[in-house]
Amino acid sequence: MVDTIVFVLAALVILSGALGVILARNPVHSALMLIMTLFGVAVVFVAQEAHFLAAVQVIVYAGAIVVLFLFVIMLLGVDQADSIETEPIGGQRPAAGVVALASVGLLVLLAVRAVQVSSGARSTSSALDGEGTNLEKLARVLFTDYLFAFEATSALLVIAVVGAVVLARKPAAEDVQDRKGVGALGRTRSGSGR
Amino acid sequence: MLHLLAQAEPFRSPTVDFHAFAPEIVLSVSIVVVLLVDLVFDERGKWATSSIAGIGLLAALVPVLTLAVDGADRSLFDGAYVVDNFALVMKALFLLSGYVTILISARYIAEGDYYEGEYYFMLLCSLLGMLVMGSARDLISIFVALELLSIPAYLLAGWRKRDLRGNEASLKYYLLGVFAAAVMLYGMSLIFGVTGSTILTEIGAALDGGEAPAPIVVVGILFIVIGFAFKVSAVPFHTWAPDTYEGAPTPITAYLSVASKAAGFVALLQLVFIGFLGRSDVWGPLFWVLAAITMTVGNLIALRQTNIVRMLAYSSVAQAGFMLAPFAVAGDIDVDRGGPLAAIPPVVTYLLIYAAMNLGAFAVVMVVARKTRSGELSSYGGLFEYAPGLAVLMTVFIFALAGIPPLGGWLAKFVVFRALLDAGTPAAIVLAVIAAVNSVISLFYYASVAREMWMRPVPDGDRAPIRIPASLGSALALAAAFTLLFGVSNVATRFGDLAIFGFLP
Amino acid sequence: MDVDATWYLVLSALLFTIGGAGVLVRRNPLVMFMCVELMLNAVNISFVTFARMLNDTGGQVVVFFVLVVAAAEVVVGLGIIVAILRRQPGADADDISLLRG
Repeated sequence: MVDTIVFVLAALVILSGALGVILARNPVHSALMLIMTLFGVAVVFVAQEAHFLAAVQVIVYAGAIVVLFLFVIMLLGVDQADSIETEPIGGQRPAAGVVALASVGLLVLLAVRAVQVSSGARSTSSALDGEGTNLEKLARVLFTDYLFAFEATSALLVIAVVGAVVLARKPAAEDVQDRKGVGALGRTRSGSGR
Repeated sequence: MLHLLAQAEPFRSPTVDFHAFAPEIVLSVSIVVVLLVDLVFDERGKWATSSIAGIGLLAALVPVLTLAVDGADRSLFDGAYVVDNFALVMKALFLLSGYVTILISARYIAEGDYYEGEYYFMLLCSLLGMLVMGSARDLISIFVALELLSIPAYLLAGWRKRDLRGNEASLKYYLLGVFAAAVMLYGMSLIFGVTGSTILTEIGAALDGGEAPAPIVVVGILFIVIGFAFKVSAVPFHTWAPDTYEGAPTPITAYLSVASKAAGFVALLQLVFIGFLGRSDVWGPLFWVLAAITMTVGNLIALRQTNIVRMLAYSSVAQAGFMLAPFAVAGDIDVDRGGPLAAIPPVVTYLLIYAAMNLGAFAVVMVVARKTRSGELSSYGGLFEYAPGLAVLMTVFIFALAGIPPLGGWLAKFVVFRALLDAGTPAAIVLAVIAAVNSVISLFYYASVAREMWMRPVPDGDRAPIRIPASLGSALALAAAFTLLFGVSNVATRFGDLAIFGFLP
Repeated sequence: MDVDATWYLVLSALLFTIGGAGVLVRRNPLVMFMCVELMLNAVNISFVTFARMLNDTGGQVVVFFVLVVAAAEVVVGLGIIVAILRRQPGADADDISLLRG
C-alpha cells in the first residue's frame, strides 16, 4: 500500500516536472522543473532498491548538473521568455505530436507486455538480492565485470575537463580571423541563399 | 565499518590480459604525453605534439600486429571485451585513417591560429574510443566507446571557435548526437530487459527464437539501429552531416566522414551479427529501407551541390547507403553461401576502400583550398592547367568514389552487388537495381568535378602552381597508393574475408 | 514488490516520450538539452526496473555509467552552448539553422 502511494506521488512529480520542462517559457523555470523530475526519479530508485544510485542521482544530477545548467543560464542572461507559441518550422510541431502519440501508445503497450517476456530471462551477473549492501554489490560488479568500461570513463572525464578549458579559454588574439590559415570551405552565410 | 569489511567475501581482482589491451595502453600513453608536452613546452614545443600524436598512432599499430601474428582470439571480462580478427582489422583501419588525419591536420592547424596540443589530444581520445569500439562486445562497452569517440568529435567539429559556422557545426552535431545516444540507450534498456544480459553473445543466444518476435524486441532493435543510423549518417538521420562537415575544420570533416562513420558501422556489425543474429526478420526490412533511401536521397541532393565539401558530405551519405545494403539482405543469404555472416566481409571491404579514397579526396580539397581559399566547385576550374598532378589525383579519387574500374571503388561496389545477388530474393534484387541506378546517378556529380578540373578555364586567371607541404603530400601518396592497390589487387577483399568474429552466440 | 514493474516501465515510457517530444518542439538549445536529460532519466528508470525484475545488478551498473557519461556530456555541451551564445546572444536552434538538412 505504501509502495503504491509512493509510486503514484513520484510518478506525478516526475511527469509534471517533465511537462514543466518542455512547456515553461523561461529556461530558468525549465531547469527548476528538471530538478523536480530528478528528485522524483531518485524516489523511484529508492523504491526499486537502487539506494546508491538514488544518492548519486541527487548529488550528481540534481546537485551538479542542474546547477551547471542554471549557472550557464544566469551567465548568458538568456532568462528572457522563449516564445513557444510561434512555430518556427512548418509541420514540425504536428509531426512531433504524431510521433509522441504513436510512441506513447507503442511504449506503453510494450511495457505492459514486457513483464511476460522477461519472466523467462536469466540473471547473469551477481544477484541483486544477495548478501551485503546495495553499494557493495554494485562495487563488486563494477570493479570486476565492468572494470574496463569504468577505466574508459576516466578518459571521458579528462576529455570533458580539457574540452571545457579549450572552449572557455579566450584566444590570445580574439579578433584575428584565420590569420593565414585556410578558413572553412563552406559558402558564406549571405551566399547560402536560405 | 569494520564488521562490514569482515563479513565481505574477499575481493578478487579480475585477471587482465595486458597483451590484448596493448594497443589501447600505447595510445593512452601517447595521449598523456601529448597533453603534457603541450602543457610544459608552451610555444616552442607546439610542433612536437603532431609528431608525437603520429608516432603514438603508429606505435599502437605494433601491438595490433603482434596480436595478429599471435592469432589467438582473446575474450576478457566474460566476453565483454574481445580481441579477434574483426577487432584487429578494424583497429588497424582506425589507426591508419587517424594517422592520415593527423598528416592532413599538421599544416592546417599550424597555419590557422587554433590550439594545437588539445587538438591532437582530442583526436587521439576519439581514436581511443574507436579502438575500444572495435573490441566492445557488450552494451555498456559499446555505449562508453561511442561516447568516448563522440564527445571529442563534438569539440573538434567546433574547433574554429571564432567562426559562427564552426559553432553551428558543433552544436548541431552535439544536440543530435546526444539525442540519438538517448534513443539508443532506451533501446538497449529494452533489450537488456528481455534478455537479462548486456553481453552480446548472451543476447544473441537469448534472442534466437523461432517464433514471431515480441514487440519489445522489435522496438529495442529499432531504437538501437536508429541510434547508430545517426552515427553513420543514414537518411533520414543525416541532417547533421552536411552542415557539420561544412563548418568543421576540413581534416576533421575527413575524419568524421571516414573514421567516425566506420566506427558506427563497426558497432552496427557487432550488434546486428552477434547480438541480433537470430532476428534478421526484424532488422532486415529496416536496413532495406534505410539503405534504399540513404543511397537515393544522398545522391539526389549531392547532384545539386555547388560546394565541394557539401557535395562530398552528401556523397558520403550515399556511400553509407551502399554499406548498409548487405545488412538488408543478410538474413536471406543461404547457409551454403555463408549464411547471414557472409554479409560482413562486403561491409568491411567497403569500409577499407572507402577510407582510402575519401581521405584522398579530402586531402586534395585541402591542398587546393590552400591556394584558392574556397570550397566552391567552380574554384576547381582549370586545375589541370596549373596543377596537373593534383588534378590527376583528384580524378583518381573521384572516379574511385564513383566506382570506375580499375580504381578501388569498383571492387567495393562489386562485393556489395555480389552479396545482394547471393541473397537472390526479390527484395534483394530490387535493392540491387536501386543501387545500380544510384551508381549511375552518382557518376554525374563526380564527373562534374572532373569536368571543372580538365575542361573549364581558370576562374580568376591565377595560374600560380600549388605548393604541397610534405605532410599533405605523404597523406596524398598514401591514399592514392591504397586506392590503386585496392582496385587492382584483392587485398581489401582478403582483409574483408579475414574480419570474422571470434565468438558467436 | 507491491507496485507491478509494468507501471514503472509505463512511467519510463511516458517520461521518454515527453523528453523526445521536447527535443523536437523546443528551439532553445539549453532546453533541448534538458529534454535529452529527461530521456536519459527515462532510460535510467527503465534499467533500474529491469535490474529489479531480473534480480541482476548489471542493470544498476548501466545506470552508473549513464550518469557518468551524462556528466561529461553536460560539461562539453554547455561549453559549446556558451561558446555559441556568447558570440550570438539569444540564438536559438533556428538561428543556428538546426534541421536545415
